[in-house]
Amino acid sequence: MKQHPLCTDTEQASHVMDMAIPAEMKREWATLQTRRHFLGRSGKVLGWAAMASLLGGRALKGDTHGPAYGQQGAPGADQLKLPQFAPKAKRAIYLFMSGGPSQVDLWDYKPGLAALYDKDIPDSVRGAQQLTGMTAGQARFPIAPSHWAFKRYGQTGTFVSDLLPYTGRIADDLAIIKSTNTEAINHEPAIMLMNTGNMNAGKPCLGSWLAYGLGSMNDNLPTFMVLQTKLNTHENNQPVSSRLWSSGFLSSEYAGVGLRSAGDPVLYLTDPDGVDREVRRNMLDAVNEINRQTYRELGDPETNARISQYEMAYRMQTSVPELADLSKEPKSTWDLYGPDAKEPGTFAYNCLMARRLAERGVRFTQIYKRGWDMHDNVTVTLPIICGEVDRACYALVTDLKQRGLLDDTLVVWAGEFGRTVYSQGGLTPDNYGRDHHPRCYTTWMTGGGVRTGITYGETDEYSYNVVKDPVTVRDFNATLLHCLGIDHNKLSYNFQGLDQKLTGPTPASVVQGLLA
Amino acid sequence: MAKGAKLDFNQDVQPILAANCFACHGPDPEMRKAGLRLDLGESAFKKRPGHPDAIVPGHPEQSELIKRIESTDSHHLMPQSPQGEAKPMKAADIAVLKEWIKEGAVYRPHWAFDKPVKAQAPAIAEAAGRGNRPNNPIDAFILARLNKEGLKPSPEADKATLIRRVTLDLTGLLPTPVEVWAFENDKSPQAYEHLVDGLLARPSYGEDRARYWLDYARYADTYGLHYDNSRDIWPYRDYVIRSFNTNKPFDQFAMEQIAGDLMPAKNLDPLIASGYVRLGVSSNEGGTIPEELRVNIARERAEAYGATFMGLTVGCAVCHDHKYDPTSQKDFYALTAFFNNIQEKPFNNDRPVWEPMARIPRPENQDSYNRVWARRSELAQRVRAVRLQERDLVGKWLASRQSLPQGVSPDKLLLRLRLDEGGGDVLKNSAPHPQQASFPIGKSKPQWGETTWLWPDFRMETSTRIQLGQTGDFEAGQGFSSGGWFMMRSAPNYSTYNESGSLLSKMDSTQHNRGWDISLEHGILYVDLVNEGPKELVVHKSADEKEPEPKKVKEAFQFPTPTDLTAKDLAPNKPKPKKEAEKKPEEKKAKKDDKPAEPKPPLDTTPLVAIRVSALDPLPLDGKWRHIFFTYDGSGKAAGVRLYVNGAPVATRVMSDTLGQATIKTQVPMLLGMRSPQENPARETRYQDIRFYGRAVTAEETRRLPFEDYVAEVAGKPAGQWSDDEWHVVSQFYFDSIDKEARDLEQQIAGLDAQLDKLSEGGDLTMVSWERPSIAYAHVLTRGIYTARTERVEANTPHFLPPLPAGMPHDRLALAKWTVSADNPLTARVTVNRMWSEVFGAGLVETTEDFGIMGQRPSNPELLDWLAVEFSESGWNIKHMYKLMVMSAAYRQSAKTTPQLVVKDPKNLLLARGPRFRMDGETLRDVALQSSGLLVAKIGGPSVKPYQPPSVWEQVGIGGSDTLVYEQQKGDALYRRSMYTYWKRMAMMPDMDAFDAPMRDVVCTRRQRTDTPLQALVTMNDVQWVEAARALAQRVIKEGGKQPEQRIDLMSEILLAHDPPPQMAAVLEGSIAQMEKHYAADPKDAARLLDVGEKKSDAAIPAPELAAWTMVASEMLNLDETLNK
Repeated sequence: MKQHPLCTDTEQASHVMDMAIPAEMKREWATLQTRRHFLGRSGKVLGWAAMASLLGGRALKGDTHGPAYGQQGAPGADQLKLPQFAPKAKRAIYLFMSGGPSQVDLWDYKPGLAALYDKDIPDSVRGAQQLTGMTAGQARFPIAPSHWAFKRYGQTGTFVSDLLPYTGRIADDLAIIKSTNTEAINHEPAIMLMNTGNMNAGKPCLGSWLAYGLGSMNDNLPTFMVLQTKLNTHENNQPVSSRLWSSGFLSSEYAGVGLRSAGDPVLYLTDPDGVDREVRRNMLDAVNEINRQTYRELGDPETNARISQYEMAYRMQTSVPELADLSKEPKSTWDLYGPDAKEPGTFAYNCLMARRLAERGVRFTQIYKRGWDMHDNVTVTLPIICGEVDRACYALVTDLKQRGLLDDTLVVWAGEFGRTVYSQGGLTPDNYGRDHHPRCYTTWMTGGGVRTGITYGETDEYSYNVVKDPVTVRDFNATLLHCLGIDHNKLSYNFQGLDQKLTGPTPASVVQGLLA
Repeated sequence: MAKGAKLDFNQDVQPILAANCFACHGPDPEMRKAGLRLDLGESAFKKRPGHPDAIVPGHPEQSELIKRIESTDSHHLMPQSPQGEAKPMKAADIAVLKEWIKEGAVYRPHWAFDKPVKAQAPAIAEAAGRGNRPNNPIDAFILARLNKEGLKPSPEADKATLIRRVTLDLTGLLPTPVEVWAFENDKSPQAYEHLVDGLLARPSYGEDRARYWLDYARYADTYGLHYDNSRDIWPYRDYVIRSFNTNKPFDQFAMEQIAGDLMPAKNLDPLIASGYVRLGVSSNEGGTIPEELRVNIARERAEAYGATFMGLTVGCAVCHDHKYDPTSQKDFYALTAFFNNIQEKPFNNDRPVWEPMARIPRPENQDSYNRVWARRSELAQRVRAVRLQERDLVGKWLASRQSLPQGVSPDKLLLRLRLDEGGGDVLKNSAPHPQQASFPIGKSKPQWGETTWLWPDFRMETSTRIQLGQTGDFEAGQGFSSGGWFMMRSAPNYSTYNESGSLLSKMDSTQHNRGWDISLEHGILYVDLVNEGPKELVVHKSADEKEPEPKKVKEAFQFPTPTDLTAKDLAPNKPKPKKEAEKKPEEKKAKKDDKPAEPKPPLDTTPLVAIRVSALDPLPLDGKWRHIFFTYDGSGKAAGVRLYVNGAPVATRVMSDTLGQATIKTQVPMLLGMRSPQENPARETRYQDIRFYGRAVTAEETRRLPFEDYVAEVAGKPAGQWSDDEWHVVSQFYFDSIDKEARDLEQQIAGLDAQLDKLSEGGDLTMVSWERPSIAYAHVLTRGIYTARTERVEANTPHFLPPLPAGMPHDRLALAKWTVSADNPLTARVTVNRMWSEVFGAGLVETTEDFGIMGQRPSNPELLDWLAVEFSESGWNIKHMYKLMVMSAAYRQSAKTTPQLVVKDPKNLLLARGPRFRMDGETLRDVALQSSGLLVAKIGGPSVKPYQPPSVWEQVGIGGSDTLVYEQQKGDALYRRSMYTYWKRMAMMPDMDAFDAPMRDVVCTRRQRTDTPLQALVTMNDVQWVEAARALAQRVIKEGGKQPEQRIDLMSEILLAHDPPPQMAAVLEGSIAQMEKHYAADPKDAARLLDVGEKKSDAAIPAPELAAWTMVASEMLNLDETLNK
């Protein structure tokens, strides 16, 4: 049937197998079944886009398959769903700071607070805010000014805490957002909101949306990879959960694949003891041959899918160890990332790995760094966590930049909320604690699509409320999608009768001020 | 669109309207544009002033709807996205709408909300079958549909394929070669039926059905959030297996899960079943706000119930009326109310079982236990029956004028804060002669109406400050009394230690605490009348005179939770604390640096001139309302102070008796919930009916204060004017204090409860539901925000479905009965549809979870309805339905397909060929274990921990969690069926995860089925699979004979139920030759391969030989044919 000239919606498009296209193409489609799954595309929703790229654009030009094809009114490239406009970034690396980093000790410089040490934060500032169960019972809310000095960095003269001397050096490359704010006040719901756009379980995460919407850029590695940072015994390690990289109601092929630092880099990747590559190859050849017989016998396209599925697994078995083999990294790498990067599972190691994944065409990499949840003992613990993160962030951004990758890679640094300017528990001249603070926190982004060298949004003199340019989690996510060429209103999936989106039903807006 | 056939609104038209129009012109009034509503005929045809008619029946050309969808002006064109962008419709859909209007625009109710009617099965000419005669009515419907599409059914599959398929579908396991041989050689016409009957009778049938049900019930072994600690509720899983195996009728099965605690019972099964309600995620995160968690838990339960029993996405109405279905927001919250009325705290205290729970007697006590249980259940049903007559009985009681409730004299009642305002800026003093008629609430508002007691309640937030003026300004020589209803805070990690603070106070902290107050310290009640004293009101004693340690309060459990539980019973899985010696040096150091010592304040040595009286025992921490009251006779002596809880005097001790007639008057105001405005209020406590009398209230009056006084007040009004809450209080009072039968019954029950506790000693605990006696209700929440309560709604079923049975309270039992009532249009359809989807790979309604307007239309509506009616008519006979399905010719067809068929019906929804699809992760692993002879066929019991790669749990968990470290078990635990594998929600078993098993943190009625490389990695490399391959190899070497062909034949018979065709045999023979050569040349590799897994390999078989066969077994385990059913 003919599509309406104004129609840009391929959501309702029929299955490829239902389309009036040459049988040869359908066969090709069927044999590519697994590749399609693996690349994060399904026949129904993004059929045309996927097909176009898999078949090297032939499908769109309609010049190789005769006139019948051209008459079908296939949408042209400009009507394809994704990306919806020329993306600035092709891939993204998300450094997730789980636990809630303290904005007032790291980024949100408030020199005026020193004079207010141990004074109660005025009720007018605090308002009738819901507090967590942890400080709700506190009689006083004494101000704890940051223990650390801030210095100016770069041409922009951006203030950065002495805890982040390396990150300070790339201040000119960052868009620092001081007005990020969230609705959730406890870890689980807040982390879920940041990662999936919803406080309750069951929704797909950002990475899954990207895998679903944009698909893969490589043949040998997953589209979306997750790296966990090794735990540090000083940390209050709020848990993370595999639901954070789950695909929710999207097909599970869009879920994040863990790249692990201990054991198999990808679960079950390594052949069993006593099985070498030759044995594996022979085994697969036999399996494939019998599967081909089965296909001839039964004609089930899934059988062909099975063959590609096993071949892809075989290729992954080669490409992942190559990815994880750092022996060929030059000395300059180690000079840049520091010695920590040699130890698998450290944040520095993961950052280096993220760069390698970006080079190899992985669409989305998310690194989890836990330990930011400092309800007490901030002056002891915060320097330790910053020490793990600071140089690695600097190294990653610098490395990407040197390799020309930063232009089309989006890098994001964010936690789930900030921390209170008032002390949780006892305040002494040497130490304090900070509770969860959803009303303002600092995040940063850089790379493709981002206007760098800026500070966006402002908080009041207590780093308590946003006073200018608030950025909600929805806006934040809408902006990330925009950098990747996606209109957040259009990246949707019909589930339970609703067009579900990462940004949810409440209107969200792309933060124009953050865009290059 | 077929020529000549009239359009069917449900099948043809409504899906188009729903997909294109309802978002803005549907049931949700908030989103409705231009006042146009298109989901109902009456509103679609309504005249709208200033707007042309949307639909003019018979005249598409006059209908604005058609003009708009055909418009070429992009501003005018409909439909549009919420962003105002035109999203034109397909030409075919436009044509359908035009035709429908031309035919008269007839609206019909949504198909799924109409009761299913059993249609006559179509008569099918035998020719259509081509030797594929319909076996039962299912086939008649299927063939009729295939005829319509111009498709032909496929011939019956060969016997080997058939026995493998049906054995896998009914038991989740493979047929053994012997079974295959027997079936192939049974030439009787009933051979297949006998086979099916035999399979339905196997215990593995119940296990396999249970495996599916656990997804629908969201069963897991951890509670899913934050610590994600263990949750021991495997007895529920055993119940499910048992129920399927005894073929418990589905109506009974469903009712027991929804409301087993309210049903008559002969044993514990219904109560264990009611654990279903509590299977959802739960939390104990420190900062969690109780109300938020309570609301989320009820919401999750309603969503799970909606998907599994109604096939509706009710959760869409959390924030607003459903955009497509008629489910209103009110409907949704009325549904949550059923699940919101359980005797539970929102927090789980990081325990694997938390109240309410039941203890299952050990087998030796089971019979005696069941006898007592049956008796108890009978009595409980009688109580229920008596209570059902509450309106009659209370009416008769009041009319009889016997034992009428007596109020307490309002003499010198100076303050009565009912705290029932429900909002606003002031609290009313409803005492007859108040000194001050009202008191302003400060700027920080309390919370109103989260729960209800005598009336919707009042909760102090931390920042709420209530000042009550000079009401309580009394002298030591004057008698006075004060108190009221209190409910102490319920919070995670909360102990009596935290339970400290003043309840009512008029005390001046700047004047050495002059005044009086009633307070809690570590859960112990204190009454103080003070002339002066030190800051903390302590009596300083000499060093050798030690203050006795306050008694540790034992947790007060209430039936059905056994009352004799210990802390150890409640935390059996707690990890052992790390010994200091095992800690790393940096851990120790971190601890030391933790908290700088704070300087001690100087000792306040003011002597205590005061009366100070305290209760001996702390109040239990159970989140219950308590009436707390003290009286003072003006004697200046401690003996003149009495303390009461729930109207009864409590044992006290005298801490200080030095007041005499010294003054206790102060200028500071009387305060509710704190001693001074600078101090912590008794945090988040709830209050009701707070009173101050300027006299010593007598013990007899105090007995009547908690209830009777209020009941007398209510009884003073005509019963017709009583609110539901008032009815509730009066009838509770009546049954507790007046009705002899009810009191007798309750007493007998209490006796039995004690026996049950005794008889269940040493048994396993499991979580269950237990209804509160109060009315089940909830609030509609604006945008789903837990603090934005609006209308209060009673528990009820959605308004567009048949009403609840009359004459019974709206509780879970009513919901359970309604769910399986003859009028319910959904339950039977939804259930048979899921059965269908388990067997055929896709439901007749593909969206098993959504039978609403946006769900898929049934591919064969008459068949679905026929099955649904058949199901209920058969007495909800589950085995009967599975048998019908697998006996059908449709099921028995060959799965062979053609490119044409793949194009025409890629998902095989019409069933022109037999079902064939990749099996679920559990079945695959079970098949590997079974074929290799490793499977341990034990049924039920706690979950087990087989092989898992390292640091899957550790990398996500939090220290202190009892599921931080995965401790793989040994022996049999490695080889149990996969449905017994420990299911941790925050870190799924990776082999199941790879095969699309859901996390079960939300309900799942339909698994996805993907093919990813990660799956191939599991089946090739997972220890479990490599070990299974070796065991299978060992088995064929020992049992198959000497020749490779023989061994290959056997392996094929085991896994595929047939001998390998020559081509396949050739490949495998080539492969074994190749592998043998390889491992003969490299025996070290062979030895390493044989060393994988815990089970030792058979040393009698030469290593290279076994290794080679292991690889061939692995090949066969990885075949497409093996992985598919």
